[in-house]
Amino acid sequence: MKSLKKSIIAITVGITALATSCQKLDIPPKNIFTPDVIFDSEAGVKSLLATIYRNLPIEDFKYRPDGGDDANYNGIQTQHPGFNPGNPWMNFYTSASVIGEEVGPFGGFEIGGGFGYWPYADIRNVNILIDELPKHTAKLTQATVNTILGEAHFLRAYYYFGLAKRYGGVPIIKVPQDPGAPLSELQVHRDKEEAVWDFISAELDLGYQMLPESSEAGRANKYVAAALKSRAMLYAGSVAKYGSVNFVSGPALSQGFVGVPVGKANTYFQAAYDAAKLLEGHYSLYNDNPDKVQNFTDLFLKPNSEQIFIKQYSIASNTAHSWDATMSPRYMTANALSRAYPTLDLVELWGQLPVTNGDGTPRRFNDRTELMQGLEPRLLATVYFPGTTLRGLTFDMQRGIYPSFTGTAAAEVAKQPNSRSYVLAGDTKTLYQGKQIIGFTGPWTGGDELTRTGFYVRKYVDYNKPQATVDLYKSEQPWIDLRYGEILLNRAEAAMELGNTGDAFDCIKKIRERAGATPYTSIDIDKVRKERRMELAFENQYYWDLKRWRTADVVLDRAHFRGLMPYYVFNENKYIFLAEPELFNREYTFQKQSYYEPIPGGEINKNPNLLPNNPGY
Amino acid sequence: MKKIISKILAGVVIMAAAACTKIDNYDGPNASLQGNILSSEGGNLQTSGGSTQIWMQQIGWTSPQTIPSKFDGTYQDTKLFKSSYKVVPTGGAFWPVTDTTVVNISQGTKHDFTVTPYIVIKNFQSSLTGTTLTLTFDIDAPIAAGLPTIKDVQPYVNTTSLVGSGASIRDYSDLNSKPINKNFTDMVAADKSITLTVPNLLPGRTFFVRVGVRLADSYNSSNFSEIVRVDVPNN
Repeated sequence: MKSLKKSIIAITVGITALATSCQKLDIPPKNIFTPDVIFDSEAGVKSLLATIYRNLPIEDFKYRPDGGDDANYNGIQTQHPGFNPGNPWMNFYTSASVIGEEVGPFGGFEIGGGFGYWPYADIRNVNILIDELPKHTAKLTQATVNTILGEAHFLRAYYYFGLAKRYGGVPIIKVPQDPGAPLSELQVHRDKEEAVWDFISAELDLGYQMLPESSEAGRANKYVAAALKSRAMLYAGSVAKYGSVNFVSGPALSQGFVGVPVGKANTYFQAAYDAAKLLEGHYSLYNDNPDKVQNFTDLFLKPNSEQIFIKQYSIASNTAHSWDATMSPRYMTANALSRAYPTLDLVELWGQLPVTNGDGTPRRFNDRTELMQGLEPRLLATVYFPGTTLRGLTFDMQRGIYPSFTGTAAAEVAKQPNSRSYVLAGDTKTLYQGKQIIGFTGPWTGGDELTRTGFYVRKYVDYNKPQATVDLYKSEQPWIDLRYGEILLNRAEAAMELGNTGDAFDCIKKIRERAGATPYTSIDIDKVRKERRMELAFENQYYWDLKRWRTADVVLDRAHFRGLMPYYVFNENKYIFLAEPELFNREYTFQKQSYYEPIPGGEINKNPNLLPNNPGY
Repeated sequence: MKKIISKILAGVVIMAAAACTKIDNYDGPNASLQGNILSSEGGNLQTSGGSTQIWMQQIGWTSPQTIPSKFDGTYQDTKLFKSSYKVVPTGGAFWPVTDTTVVNISQGTKHDFTVTPYIVIKNFQSSLTGTTLTLTFDIDAPIAAGLPTIKDVQPYVNTTSLVGSGASIRDYSDLNSKPINKNFTDMVAADKSITLTVPNLLPGRTFFVRVGVRLADSYNSSNFSEIVRVDVPNN
């Protein structure tokens, strides 16, 4: 009886299995997405676009110009350190801190070799998008396809710009390559640098033509394409003009893989100018708050009419950054530490600070905040000065105490440290006759986490965040990749290079009015460049400006930078400020070969047609 | 017990006999290349750290390697793979060598390069007065036309005989540099006789000193004098 039951069960199971199995063998694979799944719906296309946008070489809070730690997600090494580094909380590894805007974690100019950025996998994603979209007009409609194609051309230009400014000429690959193709087809030769810039220009023109007037935040519209074009063409024009004077010779140069003929300079400057002009009337400088300091501070913290293209972050999606926790001292945050500090050299772009009397003696201050009187609001919104407050706490910068002080500032600074009569301390608890010797916020050399220059970064720091919430991966303010302020500066510089001083003057006038600066009465190229440095400080622009102006090897020639050290003079009950070498005492030298990065060795091994490598490598 | 031990031993013997039947029959990097970088004006080219190097690329291989020159203008690498290499001296203050030579490198290969320096430092003399060192020298250019702009001249002072750019005491060296920023052809005779001073040397110490002329070429490279020893007496 028992065995019969078993047989019945066995037979039933067998029949059921037979009846349901092997209906169809040729089924679409379940483990990969076929083009139809992605490209037949806008949501599908959007998911691919999200990946492409996420990997864009936007030099934001988390960008590490040295590449940083390898990123490792679920055991998979990401292919692009730099834009997506491991330990992405270390937001103080800024490019500003290798070029003298800040001093900080880098021991010198140690990032000239780059980090082997080679985003052809991302470019392939864009190429697939461009290849596939026209096949799906039935489902997506022609209008949608055109819009997304415009977006794709913009994105492809963005990637190639990231390559061109690093390597000069790279292979221009416009179609998704077939992995099965013969090796000779896959090993594409380098294109000339000029060809790459022309390609970027043409792609952005397509973007401008095909994209709509407006877009959701974080995505491109036609003006985003024009804005990027003004930036890219200004770079190309500068390479043509200044790269033909200051260069490293080598086979890559003589064959045009790096360097652009000087005759093309004005073409590119004109393109930069025209592109910048397209934005006129569509974006404007943020100028809502009559308090100029507050206005320039909020420009980076509130959505406004100046933002053209932004990158967003959220705690919920695990993408938040750590700018607040790593730019201010631990004294004002809930966790972490800071390590990059603005230099006096940056601050003095705005003019010499009134810290010395006519006879060379240090000026005596009753209160450290007196130093800020009469300074330009934009400067005060860019850098935290001694005596300012953040989250209810005062930036208490004090390097030490002088029991008494006589003589000139210059003579005192020139002395060997052991023959100076100041009192320093190893921590904030040490007192001199009941008076705290070093301030709660430094300057101090015992660790990296207090200022070494007497200043802290203010730009992008969210002053509204309660201290308890200022922690790692808790900052969500967007990175403004393109803003109208930069576009006006691009336009002014291009105009200046083209000899149109009138327009350059007008653009700089607008920038300076908003900044609360005293107006200029005339204009020249040095003023335009200086305005750019002041307006865009810490926005990861000056690093590339130095490269395209080909001035990096002059500016960073065994360069040392300075800080401003506040001291308390005990017997006078006053403060003095001394301009001294910054306390890391770093030296920065830029080798001329670093105007271009080396083509990554691993890529050359895969594709010897990338040779000759850039000069000097 | 004995049986188990003998079994284990037998096993070990069998495994030992069966293992390692293949050995790596490729040669290690036992080839070497050494030689001098000669100046066309006589003697070895005086160099410094981080400047002149021998750039070399193995034929059939894509990644180049370099051998840095020693301060006296010699170079040596004893851990190379035997092969043919394209070699060229680069990075220093001499007229670029554009044609790469091919050298078959095996054990003990020697190869000398001759380069034309940008600037030759002549009549280099030093004199010490108290703690102030005065350095005088003349500069000359074997080929004046098309010479890169001369940026500056400076002393290099260090406490060891390894002295040059990147190996010097900043307060004595970099801070005593003298900007020139002129083309050699625009310099009059007086400009070419140069005096540098290094004040406030520490008494009772021995220093090694040389001077360098820096040019605005591709490498911002310098031509150097020979190295002299300076003993600063105790007061």
